Amino acid sequence: MKLLSGRRIVLATLALTCASGLFALPARAADNAKQFIQNFGTQLVAIVNSPVPLSEKKTKVLPLVQKNVDIDGIGRYCLGRYWKIATPEERQHYLALFHEVLVNAITDKLGEYRGVSFTIGDVSKSGGEDSVNAILMRPQQPPASMQWVVSYDSGQPQVVDVVGEGASLRLTQRNDYSSFIARNGGSVATLLSALQKQLDRHNQASN
Amino acid sequence: MISGRNGSRLRPRARDQHDQAREGSSVHRRFRLGTLCLGLVLLGTAGCSSIKAPVPTDPDALAEYKAANDPYEPLNRKVFNLTMKFDTWALRPVAKAYVWAVPRPVRNSLGNMITTMNEPSVFFNDVGAGKPRRAGDSFVRWCINMTVGVGGLIDVAKMAGFPHHDNDAGLTMANWGISSGPYLFLPMGPSSFRDGIGYGIDQGLSPWDYVPRGYGLVSFNWAYNMMGVVHGRSEHLEDLDALQRDALDPYATIRSAYQQQRKAQAEAIKNDRRATVPDWYQ
Repeated sequence: MKLLSGRRIVLATLALTCASGLFALPARAADNAKQFIQNFGTQLVAIVNSPVPLSEKKTKVLPLVQKNVDIDGIGRYCLGRYWKIATPEERQHYLALFHEVLVNAITDKLGEYRGVSFTIGDVSKSGGEDSVNAILMRPQQPPASMQWVVSYDSGQPQVVDVVGEGASLRLTQRNDYSSFIARNGGSVATLLSALQKQLDRHNQASN
Repeated sequence: MISGRNGSRLRPRARDQHDQAREGSSVHRRFRLGTLCLGLVLLGTAGCSSIKAPVPTDPDALAEYKAANDPYEPLNRKVFNLTMKFDTWALRPVAKAYVWAVPRPVRNSLGNMITTMNEPSVFFNDVGAGKPRRAGDSFVRWCINMTVGVGGLIDVAKMAGFPHHDNDAGLTMANWGISSGPYLFLPMGPSSFRDGIGYGIDQGLSPWDYVPRGYGLVSFNWAYNMMGVVHGRSEHLEDLDALQRDALDPYATIRSAYQQQRKAQAEAIKNDRRATVPDWYQ
């Protein structure tokens, strides 16, 4: 009867609670990521499918993107090894430009789609990031499978990467920037002027 | 140079030599021709400023150089620039005209046909990669689409639960554990040593290269191959336009995306544990 003494039961219950808590922890993190992408995706798709003019869609999508996408984090990643050698002013300038480039890249896509829907698949973990599988359905086009990479570095879940057909957008972008810098004398300033030129061209085209 | 009296003397002698050579073994002649070609290629490449990129000494730059896996970058960039010029002036306009002239449903049917015609090559590669269930799927796809699907124009197999999957000899070799080798940009697009060899093997695996002459099949084969190129380009009109507009270094962007995609494709084939029967049957 000593086996079932009060102290042992209390200890066992405690241990069990801890263990179940431990097991539940990663599952909860994965659920968080899934829930986060579900919410973000639903909001995005609602804007994309809404029957309002493109300019209105763009103004609606902007705060959503700024809240849910870690634009600064992606920017730092994309500059790669040149982040270290960039001066504080260059970094600041770069992040401001990158912000605009990324938002343009997202909002440019808004007009292309209508009648979009998506389904969320399973979640896999890599390092401190969760990768959420999603399938995007567009009318008259084959379904596109993609992974949304979610990071918690900023304290809240934020998208840090999108992987489409096996290619990570941020890694591809980083290779683009670093190759451009390396071939243009290795200075960050060249990248900044190229980005500025790209933005000017974009603004001219959209005006 | 060969003119006047000297020329008239030289010419018959040259012909004599040529005749002698023709009488000799054809292997020998082929060998000489091969050496000549090799010599020309070497001369051509030596004419380029450099083939291999210098290895950087800075540790960060060295890490990047190794990650890019592109020691022949200067040569690759030359081929890339030429290919892009050809694309801008020939292939892209043709693909645009094709999109303009041929309605979407017809293009889809032609796309289905091209995919089905390539199915034997996918099948042999599935077998080679040791994936019998994938091989079964591509075999069934070929049988259904070539008969009920009217020579591949309608993708009936997809409706029956056998959607298309891709495979090629480069991916098969990747599954055998053969690494990609250095990156290469070939006139038909981004590749690597392994995938370039794989491209050659795939050509050999396609039954359309063994069609007998005289039945109009050879011209069909030509039409099919050219159609495949134009159709393939027309599927990526917007993507490539966006890439050339948005990328600061399109060459590096394509290289990076290609290498990542090939890795993911090989990984996906390795982890493919599909069932023998289609989804609806389970």
